Amino acid sequence: MSINNIDGCIGCGICVETCPTDVIRIDPASGKAAIVYPADCQICHLCRMYCPVDAITITPEKTIPVVVSWG
Amino acid sequence: MNQKTKDGMSRRQFLQIAGGASACAALMTFGVKSGWAANSPSFPVREVGFQSHETDIIVVGSGLAGLFAAVKAHDAGASVMMVSKGRLGTSGQTPFARGIFAWDPSTASMGLDEFTEAVSRSALGTNNPVYTRQMAEHSLARVNELREWGFFETNLYYNVFNKPIVERNIPVLQRIMITKLIKENGRIAGVAGFSLDDSKVHVIQAKSVILCTGAGGFKPNGFPICDLTHDGTVMAYDIGAKVTGKEWNDGHPGQSVNPAACYNGWERMLESMPSANSIGIRHDLGVGENYQAYMKGNPVSMGPPGQGGSTTASGGPYTPQEFLQRSNDEGRGGENGPGEGGPPPGMGGVIVGGASAGMSIHKSEGLVPINDRCESNVPGLFAAGDSLGSYMAGAIYTQIGSSMAGSAVQGAIAAEAAAEYASGVEIPALSESRIDAIRNEMLAPLGRTEGYGPAWVTQVLQGVMIPNFVIYVKKESILKAALAYVEELRDHHVPMLRASDMHELRLAHETRNMIVNAEMKLKASLMRKESRCSHFRLDYPDVDYDNWQAWINISKEADGTMKLEKQPFESWPN
Repeated sequence: MSINNIDGCIGCGICVETCPTDVIRIDPASGKAAIVYPADCQICHLCRMYCPVDAITITPEKTIPVVVSWG
Repeated sequence: MNQKTKDGMSRRQFLQIAGGASACAALMTFGVKSGWAANSPSFPVREVGFQSHETDIIVVGSGLAGLFAAVKAHDAGASVMMVSKGRLGTSGQTPFARGIFAWDPSTASMGLDEFTEAVSRSALGTNNPVYTRQMAEHSLARVNELREWGFFETNLYYNVFNKPIVERNIPVLQRIMITKLIKENGRIAGVAGFSLDDSKVHVIQAKSVILCTGAGGFKPNGFPICDLTHDGTVMAYDIGAKVTGKEWNDGHPGQSVNPAACYNGWERMLESMPSANSIGIRHDLGVGENYQAYMKGNPVSMGPPGQGGSTTASGGPYTPQEFLQRSNDEGRGGENGPGEGGPPPGMGGVIVGGASAGMSIHKSEGLVPINDRCESNVPGLFAAGDSLGSYMAGAIYTQIGSSMAGSAVQGAIAAEAAAEYASGVEIPALSESRIDAIRNEMLAPLGRTEGYGPAWVTQVLQGVMIPNFVIYVKKESILKAALAYVEELRDHHVPMLRASDMHELRLAHETRNMIVNAEMKLKASLMRKESRCSHFRLDYPDVDYDNWQAWINISKEADGTMKLEKQPFESWPN
């Protein structure tokens, strides 16, 4: 499932700002990053590349059906 | 036996409903509320705040074009603000591009005239030579500035872009989606949008607007453009700007295994440092692979028609002889960035098409310039980079790395023109009732008690538009059929899009913009009764040099209908 785990988050919020498709938000209760809109992840890895503590794990599968121009 | 389910539904009724709902069942499985549903927003309209701003020039977008637009407008003496749907240097296509062209007069293999003529030959005349030459002429100066800011020392651009912005104290409003260009008394008066984080409507009144909003697609799978939905183009179209280039297609493929995984297809390049490159002109990344797959099925070999081995179908898109072999040899596996390279480095196995569906060719779709200063036909409205239909490269990929170079060059050109315009006008006044109307229109999906989910409408649009027999290998009957679907979405679904929060409000506006873009693409494709560069029609397979030495400009009539007209190559609009 695209972005699927955030472990060791320090709550800096850089991933929230960096994600082009607004997948991640800071959870108000925990103060840590949470995956809120996984269906919109474009699997570009920018959040992981910018994360200062390497907390983010991403897998290559899209969570919703994929449309391509030929099968 | 007519079995009853526990809620009293017959088994047959249940199966009918289940079958009808199968299209959106997968969305539901993953927690996306699909199709038509009640809407109970977590953040009601009445609680959405408001903030206003004033500036001489507002730059919309924070990629490479936006960076140079903001910096150069400031240096020209204007007060400047930048607003971005994402974050400086991490939104749009900029964060994924690695190669930038620099024409260095001391080492270049061609002079400016010779270079421009070579691009024109590859582009079959579809390029605007004024913008082709301008890009090359100014490219080295922009590359040298980027070098000073540390651009070539990292593959993460935020700090590099932030350096000149901070040095100039240019305010950057991030994570605000602009949904409206405001026009008053026939000229631009500012922009309006909403913030994702603090749930406010923002109205930024300005003397001039520079759109650096990039191009877009249908949120396709395998190319990192899912935050680009032609927002700038559609907003400009709504206030009377002319738009062009919608019949062309970017033909990037993806991997058949996990086709949506942008990073996995482009990993080696994305992990590499950016670099500058010299002259290398191709005729590449059109719709050749889509034609091959349409005629012969998979697997499809990369490269232009006629070069792919014994199973290659004859016919298909025309490639000039001069560029046939070159397209195969140059840049293959290079590190030129999305939109510049041929098959992505590291992309292996069987390929599938449509990775960038909905996108035209860099710099060959967007606002029509009325001159060589990136100015639109709406006074005070400028555009640069992929949101300007400058035809800098033509309707096919020509010069390697020119996409990044062109964004930098045009950002700077637009900035100087906008600063000059802004020095001679006042900020138009806006009435409270006007601002209220803008706010209500913007927040409408949030206020609906029920409606269509934007994710579902987007998936329907993808299913209609992305197959290779629709926008890649075209013919009249299918284009008309697809247009009927898209007009239905435009008229029936867009007015009923719902949004439960600011994220879904963004999706609702993006969905509407993609539908308008689809209508433009289909209508321009129907009108262009020939094949050339990245536009291929099975029913008109040849280049028509008698009737089609022209671009297609699209504008909105007073009654709201879409008007298409020809503009001869090498001319400016009337």
